Amino acid sequence: MDYAIETISLTKIFSDWWGRAKVYAVDDLNLKIRPNEVFGLLGPNGSGKTTTIKMLLGLLHPTKGHALLLGGQGADPKINARIGFLPEESYLYRFLNARETLDFYGRLFGLAPDVRKMRIEALLEMVGLKAVARRPVGTYSKGMARRIGLAQALINDPDLLILDEPTTGLDPIGTRQIKDLILKLAERGKTILLCSHLLADVEDVCDRIAILYGGKVQSEGRVGDLLRQADKRQITMGAVSDKAIGKIQQILDEEGVDCEITAPMEKLETFFIDTVVEAQQQSQPTSGAVSTTDIGEFLTAEKSQGNILDKLVSTSEAEQTPAVAPETEHVEPAGVTGPQGDQDLLGELVAPEAEPETEQVAPVEKPGAPQPAEVPEVKKNVLDALTGRSATQDDTTSSPQEPEKDGESGDG
Amino acid sequence: MGRIWAVARNTIRQALRMKVAVIFIVLLLVLLPVMGLTASGDGTLMGRLQTFLSYGLSLTSLLLCLLTIIVATYTITSDIEGRQIYMVATKPIRRHQFILGKLLGVVVLDIVLLVIFAGTVYAMVMLLPRFYDAPEGEIAQVNSEFYTARASLVPPVIDVSEEVRTLYEEKKDQLKQVYQTLSQQEILKELTIRKRLEKRAAAVGQGVLWEFENVKPLGPNESLYIRFKYDVAENPADGQVYGRWQIGDLRQMRYGTEIKTPVWPEDRKDPVRAFREIEVRADVVAEDGYLAIGYLNPPLNRTVVLFPLEDGLEVLYKADSFTANFIRATLVILCRLIFLAVLGVLAASFLSFPVAILFCLVIFATGTVSGFILESFDLMGKNIGIIYSYTIEAVVQLLPRFDKYNPSKFLVPGRLLSWSFLGSVVLSMVCIKAFLLLVLSLIIFSFRELAKIII
Repeated sequence: MDYAIETISLTKIFSDWWGRAKVYAVDDLNLKIRPNEVFGLLGPNGSGKTTTIKMLLGLLHPTKGHALLLGGQGADPKINARIGFLPEESYLYRFLNARETLDFYGRLFGLAPDVRKMRIEALLEMVGLKAVARRPVGTYSKGMARRIGLAQALINDPDLLILDEPTTGLDPIGTRQIKDLILKLAERGKTILLCSHLLADVEDVCDRIAILYGGKVQSEGRVGDLLRQADKRQITMGAVSDKAIGKIQQILDEEGVDCEITAPMEKLETFFIDTVVEAQQQSQPTSGAVSTTDIGEFLTAEKSQGNILDKLVSTSEAEQTPAVAPETEHVEPAGVTGPQGDQDLLGELVAPEAEPETEQVAPVEKPGAPQPAEVPEVKKNVLDALTGRSATQDDTTSSPQEPEKDGESGDG
Repeated sequence: MGRIWAVARNTIRQALRMKVAVIFIVLLLVLLPVMGLTASGDGTLMGRLQTFLSYGLSLTSLLLCLLTIIVATYTITSDIEGRQIYMVATKPIRRHQFILGKLLGVVVLDIVLLVIFAGTVYAMVMLLPRFYDAPEGEIAQVNSEFYTARASLVPPVIDVSEEVRTLYEEKKDQLKQVYQTLSQQEILKELTIRKRLEKRAAAVGQGVLWEFENVKPLGPNESLYIRFKYDVAENPADGQVYGRWQIGDLRQMRYGTEIKTPVWPEDRKDPVRAFREIEVRADVVAEDGYLAIGYLNPPLNRTVVLFPLEDGLEVLYKADSFTANFIRATLVILCRLIFLAVLGVLAASFLSFPVAILFCLVIFATGTVSGFILESFDLMGKNIGIIYSYTIEAVVQLLPRFDKYNPSKFLVPGRLLSWSFLGSVVLSMVCIKAFLLLVLSLIIFSFRELAKIII
C-alpha cells in the first residue's frame, strides 16, 4: 500500500425513498495520498468533499468501491486510534466544559490518566482556551468551538489528521495559527488531509491538491505545478528611481517582452494582523493589565504549540518541563520570558517551514497584481511584527492582542 | 470497558445537566412528602399506609419509567441529530461499545435515583405511624397485616376434566337444550367451573378438607392465618354462617396414634361474602410442612356453604420481613427500568427522537395494560380469536407484563414477593426480552450509516 489514504473507485449514490438513484455525491473517486503529505481537497459547496471524508471514516457506507486509511478500514478502532478528525463544524457536547470535553475524547482513545491530563493542559493552552476551560462549550463562539474541536483532533497525537474546513469561524489570527500548526505537524511527519473551499488557506499549506466537482476529481497535482505560470517572470525589488525603471523597460523592449510595473500589494492577511497589532499597541496604556494576561496567553498558545508538539510527538517530557514555566507567565502579566519564549517559538516556526514553502508557493502570483509578499514572507512579516515588537516592548505587545482575539471569537 | 464507562459517564452528565432528570427529581422530592401527609385512605392507620405505599411506589415507578424512556432515547438520538456522533464514532470505540455505554449510563442513573426514591418511600412508610395517634388495635393490625411479608397458599386446582367429559357425554342432549346458545367448548368450560365449585362446597352436615404441603412459616411462634370467604346457596336470615374448623396435621388422628403437633379446633359464626381470618399458632404445621384444614358445615346453617374459586380460602403466614420484601419490590421496578432503557436504546438506534419516544410510550402503555388486552382476547369470539391469538396476542406476549409484575400488588396487602417471583421477572423481562432487544439494537446500530446525507 504505502498510501496514507487510498480510495479505489469510491462512489456514493444517494437514492430517494424508492431506492432510485438521485445524486452521485462521489463518483468513482481514486485518491492516493502519500504519508507525510499535506493534501488539499478542494471544491465548491456540494462537490462531495465531506461525503468523501465521511466514507473514509466509515460514517457513510460507499455505494461502490473502497476507502483505505493507513492501510485499513476507517471503522476499525486500531486505525481510528491513529487518526485525528475535525468535522466541518465542531459538534460538541454543549453541557461539557472544555476540559471535560477533552477528557472525554482522551478516554475514548484509552489514554492513561497522566498522559491525558498532560495533553489536555497542553492543548488547552495551545488553542488559547485555558482561561475559559471551565465554561460549558455550549456558550462558546464558533471560533472557540473550532479551537476545541482542533484540540480534540490532536489529543491522540494522530499520524493522520483529517481536517474539514478547519478555519471556518476563526479570525485571521486563529487561521494563521492553524495554518502554521498544519505546517509544523507536516514537518513532523504527519499526513494531513485538508478539506476546504477557502483557497488561500489551501494554497498556503498544501503540497498537493485535488479539485472536486460533481463528485469527480477535475484536477490534481502539486500546488506549485498547477499554479506556475511558466511563461512569465516576476522581479521584486526595493524602491528604485524612475530612471532605472526606464532602463529596465528599455532592456525588456529590446527583448520584445511586455512588462507592467506597479507597487506591490500587501496581502490582506498580513495587513490585518499588522493593523491589529498596531492598534493594540496604541490602546495599551488604557487597558493594560487585563489584556496583558490575554495576550500572554495567546502568544503562549502559539509558543506552546511548539511545546505540545514536542510533547505529543517526541514525548520528551524532560525537556518539556522548563518549557512549561512560561505557562505561569500569562497568568501574571509581563515577564521578559514570555516574549522571549515567543521569539524562540517564532524563530522556530519561521525557520523550518519558510524554506519548503517558498518553492511551492513562489510562482503563484498573478501577473495582473504583482505581489512580492509571497506566503512565506507574509508569515515572516507577521511573525516579525509580533516578534520584533515583543522583543522591544515585551509585554506591551503582548497585552493588546488578546482582547482583540477574544472579541473576534466572541463575535464569530 | 474504559471506553464504555467514558460514554456512560457522559450520558449521566448529560441527563443531569440538560435538566431532564432534574425536573423528575424535583417533582418526586416534592410529591412524595406531600403524599405522605395527605394520603388518608379509609382513615385508619392501615388505610393511610396502604394508600401512601401504593401511590408513592407507583408514582416513583411511573416517573422513573418516563425518565428512563426520555433519557435513553434522547441521549442517542441527540448525538446523531446534533452530529456529536461524528466525533465519537471516529474514535477508537466500537459501535456496540457506544450503545452499551449509553445503556450503562442510563441504568446507573436509574439505580441511583431508584435507591434515593425507594429509600424515601421506605423511610416514610416506616415513620408514618409515629405521626398518628393510632389506637392499639390498629397498630397490632398494621404489624400483622402490613409490616410483614406473608406467603399465601391457595388450595391446588383439582383436575376435573375427566369427570366433566363423562358428564358431558352422558347428558349431551340435555345440556345442549339448557345451554342453547353456547358452543361445546363453552359448555365444557361451564361444567368445569361447576365441578370445581362442587369440590369446594359442603352440604349441611358435611365438610370439605384441604391439604397443603410445603408450608414454611418463619418459626413455630409465628402465626398462621386462614383467610376465607363464605358463599351460600340460600341466604340465612341474619346473613351469618356457622362453621366448625379443624386445623393442623389431621393425618396423625387416623389410627388413634399419639398426637405430636397440636390440632386447632375453632367454632365460629361469620358473615357471608366477607373476608375473615382465623389466627392459628404456626406449630400446628407438621414437621414436613404438611397442613390440613377441615371445615364442617353444622346443621344449624340449613344451607350449602361454598368457598369461591378465586379467593374462597388461603393460608397466610409470615415468610419474610417487610424490609426484605420492599427491597425485592424495588428490584422488580429496576427490572422494569432496565427493560425500558433497552427499549429506548433500540428505538433510538433507528428512529428520530419524537418517533422513538412515541414508540416507547406506546409499548410502555401496552405493557401496563397487557393483562387487560389479553383478557379481552379471551372474551372474543372463537373465530376472530384465532386470528388474534397468532398476531396481536403474540406481540402482547412479547411485551413486558408490567401489570402482572406490579410490586404494589404484593406490598400493599403485605404479601410475600418471593425470590422465585423476582427471579422470574429478571428472567423474562431482563434476561430474555431486554436482551433480545439489546442484540437487535446493537445489530441495527452497528450497520447503519451514522452520517446524515448532505450534499
